[in-house]
Amino acid sequence: MAEIKVEGLSKEFGVGEDRVVALENVNLDVGGHVFVSIVGPSGCGKSTLLNILSGIETPSSGKVTITQDNHDAEPGYVFQAARLLPWRSVMDNLLFVQKDRSDETKARCQKYLEMVQLGDKVDKYPGELSGGMQQRVGIARAFSIEPDVLFMDEPFSHLDAITARSLRRELHEMWSQTKKTVLFVTHDVGEAVELSNRILVFAKGGKLEDDLQIDLPFPRDPAEDAVAVAKAQVLRKFEELDLIAS
Amino acid sequence: MATVVTTAPSPGRGLPGWVKSPKFARILFPFVVLGIWYFIYYTLDSRIFPAPQTVAVFMWEEITLTSGVRYSSAAENIYVQFGITLMRLTIGFFIALILGTIIGLAVGISKKVDAFFHDWVMGVLAMPALVYALFLGLALGFGNLGPILAVVIAGTPFVIINIREGVRNTPKELIDMARSFEVPQNKITRHVLLPSLMPFFFAAIRYAYAVGWKGLVITEVFASDRGMGWTIKFWYDAHRAHGVIGYAIFFIIFALALEKLVFDPLADRAFKWRPKMDAVQMAEGDFGGVQREGFLLIEDQEIEEGVDTTVAKGGNF
Ligand SMILES: Nc1ncnc2c1ncn2[C@@H]1O[C@H](COP(=O)(O)OP(=O)(O)O)[C@@H](O)[C@H]1O
Ligand SMILES: [Mg+2]
Repeated sequence: MAEIKVEGLSKEFGVGEDRVVALENVNLDVGGHVFVSIVGPSGCGKSTLLNILSGIETPSSGKVTITQDNHDAEPGYVFQAARLLPWRSVMDNLLFVQKDRSDETKARCQKYLEMVQLGDKVDKYPGELSGGMQQRVGIARAFSIEPDVLFMDEPFSHLDAITARSLRRELHEMWSQTKKTVLFVTHDVGEAVELSNRILVFAKGGKLEDDLQIDLPFPRDPAEDAVAVAKAQVLRKFEELDLIAS
Repeated sequence: MATVVTTAPSPGRGLPGWVKSPKFARILFPFVVLGIWYFIYYTLDSRIFPAPQTVAVFMWEEITLTSGVRYSSAAENIYVQFGITLMRLTIGFFIALILGTIIGLAVGISKKVDAFFHDWVMGVLAMPALVYALFLGLALGFGNLGPILAVVIAGTPFVIINIREGVRNTPKELIDMARSFEVPQNKITRHVLLPSLMPFFFAAIRYAYAVGWKGLVITEVFASDRGMGWTIKFWYDAHRAHGVIGYAIFFIIFALALEKLVFDPLADRAFKWRPKMDAVQMAEGDFGGVQREGFLLIEDQEIEEGVDTTVAKGGNF
């Protein structure tokens, strides 16, 4: 079981007048087969948190550990833009992040491409695919390394509502099947309520303000009363924390 | 009351489709030039301005070696002259490419190295080819070294600028992606950094060749006793306009042949992952939408400040 531990994490960028506090004294404990959403206004350090957890950025202070059964866990990352290598085919984009190119590995990549319904697009270049398809390649890439934890940074925010909706379903299906720990950044409260067991609310200045449990059965239909009520409750929380205005 | 006005698209007036195609326009061009040429020929004094057929006959005789003209140069005919020029161009071109790539990488990576080279690169870039042509003639005499150096001087700044832009445009978000997936550095270099440099490298090749060729011909006019530049001056000295124009057309044919037979196939092979585009787009780091999208979409990450690609495509053409 994967476990993410964040202790006293702070991150600053720049010095002097350019100094920006992206995260301030964040403490966090996430583990097991959970889907955790991180919500908050733009610039409150959500991406920075994922970047530190995945090793792209280093903390200014504090400690971050991600373990899987007491050894270092392997993270997968889905970005806001698909971040595919435009000069490599879909299959080669998946193979790029693998440890080897064995037949077994290729079969695994194929399997996840089929899961996102792109099994027939393996030889295409990213430029030949629609935005939604590119994003699905990004999702398949993250799953294909069979990571212990999965980081997703507003992966659907640039897609049209219909595509986003069907991808949300696919993602949830894959999460249920693969039993990953997912950390999912979004600024869409509805999306967070639909997908997650737990919602972390961040405020400007990179402070973790609240930690909410959403105990409703999956799959959740946004049209259902219970889901709508939960969403309203979270939004009210936002108002209390004065996050809506910013 | 609402009135809906629609206009039916007017049917194409009379002209068949092939006449309106870009291909036809392309083929049309030389005929238009020929028409203008004949017009000027018949309105101007024909002793000064040669008829197209005079030039055609001249070119034919040059190619078939039937004109009976023996150049007052060690290189006796067009093939030898052309061979000499091509040899100078090739050597100079590769030196410019290697030198420019090394300096371009250094300049792109280090701000200090950039500061060291910047003004001089711009200075050389803005210098008329005539200046170094004359200087090289004075300093080095009429051998091969002067013309080769002319290619190096003309081409290197363009290679430096293009490679520098390539380095500055390294796709940070793709590198971050690779790091987050723990892809080893050598794999990142091969699959991310080098491919992202390719468009800039190709632009560098095209520009270096084009400006190198121009610098070379001028240098051969003033600082050489053989080569294509020298030959065109030979016909100028002989007051034979058909010779000058004939050689100008040889230049055009050579440039087009190189473009179609060497550069285009190379680029097609290297860039089959994206829709067709020209060297200027490549120099601007336009990766066929995909990459650009990547830059724009990550709105909350710091994007490299605007790069002055104007220089890469401008310069003294
Ligand atoms: N590489 C960086 N250099 C300087 N400042 C940064 C960098 N990355 C993020 N920031 C700043 O840190 C703050 C948090 O950014 P980010 O984590 O991207 O916010 P979010 O993802 O919640 O919108 C912002 O003020 C942002 O400008
Ligand atoms: Mg963000």
